[in-house]
Amino acid sequence: MAARLEIVSPEGLRVDGRRPAEVRRVLTRTGVLSQADGSAYIEQGNTKCLAAVYGPREPVKRAGVLHDRATINVEYNVSSFSSGERRAKLRRDRKLLEIGLMIKQTFETVVATTSFPRSEIDIYLQILQTDGGAVHTAINAATLALIDAGIPMTDYVCACSAGFVNDQAILDLNFLEESADVPTLTVALLPKSGKISMLGLESRLHIDKLEPVIALASDGCMQMKDTLDEAIRISTRNLAKTVLH
Amino acid sequence: MDQDDIEMEIDGEDSLDIHVVTPGEVVTRDSAFMRGHGTYTEDETLVASLAGVVDRVNKLISIKPLRTRYNGEIGDVVVGRITEVAQKRWKVDMNARQDGVLLLSSVNLPGGVQRRKNESDELQMRTFFAEGDMLSAEVQAFFQDGAASLHTRSIKYGKLRNGSLVTVPSALIKRTKSHFVTLPCGVDVILGLNGYIWVAKHVPISPEQANQPDALYHNDNEPIADQEREIIARVSNTILALAKHNNFINDTMIVYAYEAGSSHRVKDILKPDISQEIVQTARAQFQEAQQH
Amino acid sequence: MSKDVPPSINEKAFLLSALISRQRLDSRSPHDIRTTRILLGPQPGHAEVRLGKTRVTANVSCEIVRPRANAPTEGALLFTTDFSPMASPAFGDGPGGGGGSGGDEILIARVLERALRGSRAVDTEGLCIVAGEKVWQIKVDVRVIDHEGNIVDCACIAAVAALMHFKRPDVTVLGEDVTIHSTSERNPIPLTLHHVPICVTFAFFNQGMLQVVDPNLLEEQCAEGDMTFVVNRHGDVCTLSKAGGVAVEAGQVIHCARIAAAKAEEVTDMIKAALEKAAVKEPKVAIV
Repeated sequence: MAARLEIVSPEGLRVDGRRPAEVRRVLTRTGVLSQADGSAYIEQGNTKCLAAVYGPREPVKRAGVLHDRATINVEYNVSSFSSGERRAKLRRDRKLLEIGLMIKQTFETVVATTSFPRSEIDIYLQILQTDGGAVHTAINAATLALIDAGIPMTDYVCACSAGFVNDQAILDLNFLEESADVPTLTVALLPKSGKISMLGLESRLHIDKLEPVIALASDGCMQMKDTLDEAIRISTRNLAKTVLH
Repeated sequence: MDQDDIEMEIDGEDSLDIHVVTPGEVVTRDSAFMRGHGTYTEDETLVASLAGVVDRVNKLISIKPLRTRYNGEIGDVVVGRITEVAQKRWKVDMNARQDGVLLLSSVNLPGGVQRRKNESDELQMRTFFAEGDMLSAEVQAFFQDGAASLHTRSIKYGKLRNGSLVTVPSALIKRTKSHFVTLPCGVDVILGLNGYIWVAKHVPISPEQANQPDALYHNDNEPIADQEREIIARVSNTILALAKHNNFINDTMIVYAYEAGSSHRVKDILKPDISQEIVQTARAQFQEAQQH
Repeated sequence: MSKDVPPSINEKAFLLSALISRQRLDSRSPHDIRTTRILLGPQPGHAEVRLGKTRVTANVSCEIVRPRANAPTEGALLFTTDFSPMASPAFGDGPGGGGGSGGDEILIARVLERALRGSRAVDTEGLCIVAGEKVWQIKVDVRVIDHEGNIVDCACIAAVAALMHFKRPDVTVLGEDVTIHSTSERNPIPLTLHHVPICVTFAFFNQGMLQVVDPNLLEEQCAEGDMTFVVNRHGDVCTLSKAGGVAVEAGQVIHCARIAAAKAEEVTDMIKAALEKAAVKEPKVAIV
């Protein structure tokens, strides 16, 4: 399939007109749901994700209660109308469960769970439209929603994807690029330290090419951080102005 | 709360000296400051863990998030709903990080006279409070893990009837002298600091009632006339309108907003343009009153 | 990271201080894999692998089915993983649909799927009998018998060894007629593997600054995070999975990748040696 479609043209342009190291346009909104403690909506190109955070609150399941910290539960769902063909919904899709667990373990190291013993924090992620990069969009949305809910975290968690094709690394792959067998690496980063919290690679990539791909993805994550931070600052400033003390 | 609706004109508020921080941002490198809520230390610097406004009180720096679950203090008046009847205690949902705990020893037992609780009281706990009942209480203490311990050992607290619940963000309710107010229009409002507000028909409490065995925990509402219902609905919507525009809520604000909205139909109060107008009028009135 | 009974604070501290002075409690060096024993046969496609005390068995079987509509010339590869409760008190009632130990089972099963199916290790085109109608479906059943840490790596070795050991019946196609020959008639045919994917797992300690290869159970329980590479001897990274946990630097990831590549070569040689011994001693059991 890669032979048919030119992922990067000789002039250095990708199928949607971007340069190899360019991230898609990002749109963010916080506080979009009325019942959730925190919520966020992100559009990255044509990928759309909605995140809702409830908590810290009284745990629903008695079994999961930890005496010294809060439990984080993540539910990751892809809508059946999110892609071109209708997705049949399997009762226990292992792939979705795996992504939920990876996101949970990513946030467990960043959220100050020891401040809330015996409670639970529930993160619900819904992918409304997929055009590549659903997982990293979901992680960014979860970060915004957690901040919107006023849950303390040591740092942002910013995620981005990168791939390797035609001897160069490309950033933020869309659906076409992902399905063209381009090896895609999803990276979640903690911007303050620059350290990598989560990594996921689906298809084959030679070890020599691993370094530039990780570097490019990390760069993309730092770009996402600026975007997310800007959005939070604006909404915080707006809210601060309207609440009269 | 859709952000789009909250684009209000604030006069001269840009002079606000607010320092906005986001998680991971360094607040200060001066090690002389003590760290409060919403911050953590890394090496010698104070770093924010929340998105909010920096609040500096002498040497204590804390971050106030603009949206958070109710975080109580001892002595707070709260309104809650019973979620569970357990061994010698009830669990109360109060929109906090954990359900509040109401111990059997913290409630007034029927019969009026102060008496010791016996085994039959324990078995009859559901006749006092059952799941779903609304109540007002005061925070007595906190458990080790942060759960609040409530008590209703006063005639003004206890089971709530004859009204409806309004939920607003807890940050909008300021601590005042009294949280039990009777509005001039004739409804009782209980402003729970946890964001739960009870709007009810005004029923005067007579001291003899406390002595009757069934008075405290009966479940029957008084008869409520249509007009009274309408007033209750109007007050509820007014409170929701204030909350929608992130305006703080106390008895004076409710009264101003109620008057401002009196010309509209009850159901119109929640429409975006009308609610905006009402809140702006109420705010202006409030600021005017402040200046006198 | 099984969560049945967490190790005591003393154990954790002892383990960590030993690691800081470059010593592991079982006297391995940080990048050593435990003693690996690969038992193949007697049936073709049956393998039992012991990585230290961790034991996993894998069994490969085949069946003729209709191909999927969107891939009429490709065979199918199915995986099932069974975390037997006899392996560890952590496995058992958990339905696997949530947190706790059920979560680990899902992560491990997914890594195996990605390692073997996602990396296109098995030549599925060669499994086609009659395009659009009949293809071979290869089923790999992985069963965890004993859990003493690092099930992923052990399960992967078992699955790969079983696939390489497996032989499917020979088939003759004459027009519409398909004849399946029994093993006594014609020699069965081994599967074609494009490459041999090997799992190498790292566990992180001490704020992510120390890493060890092939963690045993105690190391797994005390680890701050872990990362699994699936590499082959050509240096291709087939899958890389770091499911949260402590954050590490990019340089460390690359460093681990190189170690993983070296380990993959070692393990591939081990599997090949086991296969050779099994071929010589067939149909008896072969032990490395």
